[in-house]
Amino acid sequence: MTDERLHQAFDDLRRSEGMQAPRFERLWKPRPARRHSKLAAAVLLVAVMLTAIAVHRPEPQPSISTWRAPTDFLLRTPGQELLGSLPDLKGNAE
Amino acid sequence: MQQAELERRIEELHAASFGWALSCCRRNRQEAEDVLQDVYMKILDGRARFDGRSSLKTWLFAVIRRTAAAHARRGALHDFLLARWARREPDPDRPDPHAAAEQSQAAAALIAALRTLARRQREVLELVFYHGMTVEEAAAALDLSIGSARVHYHRGKQRLLAALNGARR
Repeated sequence: MTDERLHQAFDDLRRSEGMQAPRFERLWKPRPARRHSKLAAAVLLVAVMLTAIAVHRPEPQPSISTWRAPTDFLLRTPGQELLGSLPDLKGNAE
Repeated sequence: MQQAELERRIEELHAASFGWALSCCRRNRQEAEDVLQDVYMKILDGRARFDGRSSLKTWLFAVIRRTAAAHARRGALHDFLLARWARREPDPDRPDPHAAAEQSQAAAALIAALRTLARRQREVLELVFYHGMTVEEAAAALDLSIGSARVHYHRGKQRLLAALNGARR
């Protein structure tokens, strides 16, 4: 195949694709529908997010100063009061 | 240039612009229409402005190429996310079945041969042979140096001729 044949092949392709071109007037104008659909999608997204936040709102957390661990009872051992006070040695010596 | 004059000249270039948009969109007709409409929107609302530094055709083709590249990036992301969701691989070179059905056999052979070229080689050859530009004009439309465009032109032509001659055998 030579340059001339190459030109001819491209000419054929151009003619065949030129017939498929849409009308100029159809493309040379604003496209409001898509902008509206983008706006609608954005509004929908915000609504879904607000709903999700409302449904999954966490319960109020207790203050750290009043919070007690549920396993605190394990720390209460028998005879713990003996460890929490000093023995009265003076009284025993008399 | 007045708006009415610009519109008239762009309308004269409409068929060629659509052909170039097809080329930039791997011959996907729907995508090419979307790209061309986006380009016209950019011109209408002033985001793309012709400043007369090159010919109108060279400028318009450069805008089409950049817009198609932006569309392709968005499309690739969309395909990637869709592929992850559907657990299938995206196929960026999938031809448009409707367009393929309308092509003649010779045109289909040329398109198949063009697909074997590197992107830059294909773009330079299409601008020169399909759109009748000089290599210098093609370089300007593609933001390439003239030397680089010449190399793409010669190597691309050799590969294209080899592919077409191979397909005829």
